[in-house]
Amino acid sequence: MMGEQKTKAAGARVEVRNLTKKFGDLLVLDDISFNVEKGEFLCIVGPTGCGKTTFLNSLTRLYDLTAGEILVNGEAVDPKKHNISYIFQEYSAMPWLSVEDNIRFGLDIKGVPKQEAQENVEEMLEIVGLEKFRKQYPHQLSASMLQRVSIARAFATKPDLLLMDEPYGQLDIELRFKLEDELIKLWEKLGTTVLFITHNIEEAVYLGQNIMVLTNKPTKVKTVIPDEIPHPRDVTAPEFVKLRNYVTDMIKWW
Amino acid sequence: MQTKTPAQERRDKIVFGTLAVFLFLVIWYLVTKLTAFGEIFPDPVTVLANIGDKFVNPLGKVTLAGHILVSIRRVMAAFVVAAAGGIVLGVTMGWYPVVEAIFKPIIEFLRPIPPIAWIPISILWYGFSEMSKYFLIFLASFFVITISVYSGVKSVDPMLIRAARMLGAKDNQLFTTIIIPSVVPYIFSGLQVALGNSWASIVAAEMVQSNMGVGWIIITGQQSSNMVQIVTGIVCIAVVGMLLVMIMRGLENKLCAWNKQGR
Repeated sequence: MMGEQKTKAAGARVEVRNLTKKFGDLLVLDDISFNVEKGEFLCIVGPTGCGKTTFLNSLTRLYDLTAGEILVNGEAVDPKKHNISYIFQEYSAMPWLSVEDNIRFGLDIKGVPKQEAQENVEEMLEIVGLEKFRKQYPHQLSASMLQRVSIARAFATKPDLLLMDEPYGQLDIELRFKLEDELIKLWEKLGTTVLFITHNIEEAVYLGQNIMVLTNKPTKVKTVIPDEIPHPRDVTAPEFVKLRNYVTDMIKWW
Repeated sequence: MQTKTPAQERRDKIVFGTLAVFLFLVIWYLVTKLTAFGEIFPDPVTVLANIGDKFVNPLGKVTLAGHILVSIRRVMAAFVVAAAGGIVLGVTMGWYPVVEAIFKPIIEFLRPIPPIAWIPISILWYGFSEMSKYFLIFLASFFVITISVYSGVKSVDPMLIRAARMLGAKDNQLFTTIIIPSVVPYIFSGLQVALGNSWASIVAAEMVQSNMGVGWIIITGQQSSNMVQIVTGIVCIAVVGMLLVMIMRGLENKLCAWNKQGR
């Protein structure tokens, strides 16, 4: 395949040290420390309202930290410096840009040369199956297509670190399965480090190499469970069900 | 009921619209011919004939087309300046908190004053010069545009800002790639309202003091008890006002095809 070497992301190593976040007096994140290895696919699960999104937003410095530090490849995290992409729960396609211009957005921001940008856009259009809709505007698209635009936009920059905050939360189950498989394919191909937040245990067990379980507020890391079932995973296989039940037990706070 | 294609819908609109206008003219004609209303109001045929006549023979100094062009020129000269200034001020107010803190109270104070309230000042300052009209039109459009653009900057979707930031956008990139495109529909809605205001204000200004323009047609019609001339002026004002709005909408549809509200 053309430009094969280009399609490989470096994969970032993430170190989180004593991450603490308070909103006023409310302690939300309580002294969290962990590492994510290069190219690792880490799923983060936890009870509803446990501060998963706060966790990710602190990680990307959308929020200032109360204490602690986050290092990407040994340096303080900075989206202007590190090649990070973020896929939000809400749709975030730019309404004034066509599908292909949306996908190109991050590449333009980063000043990727035109030729290379176009190749990446074409590749992503094909992977998410939106070639026929390249000239359409977001208001002409369905919910699933919108989320695929966000995914394509995030992957087009070949990020070293990809953060996903319940990206499939609003999609129907069939589509979720399809996009989960697409995500795995992209991850395997690109070698990106992925942090995937979800409240859906089955989704976490289906996707992750490791599953980090968070506690109720104030949030700490309860445990990290390795998930060594080879891809493609079968949600009905006994080993899958067993692991899913185990993660469910770990998450229970009642 | 079967669904219609967009082409059919457009055709229906034109057909029914034309019919409605025609029907309105017929009723107008019949009412003036069959009732006492005809003694105090001209029938449409007379008015239309007068409009046609005055496009050829001058009314006062120039023809009807001349009066319309004079009014449009007055509006456009000041409107363009107000639009440029309003867009710049609105964007900077929305983007820089200090600029917002300084200008917002002033703008909010001046904005509710109807443009015609400035007419006495415009006369005392600028007399009968063109400048007195420009001054009014500027006031009629500047605040409206400024506030519209400002609120546009304020209502940029924070989600899009986050998305752009996460993709590494610096402040200046954020401004050009997210803020400006988000604000374009607000610019247009501000321009549309401002243009309507301006057109209404120029008529008022010309009625108070001028020797040309559509407002002048009406007021001289009143002074000479010439009802046909008054209605001629009113019809011109309506048609031109409508055309200005249509041109503005057309422009918006071209430039904001992505915007659902713009369709």
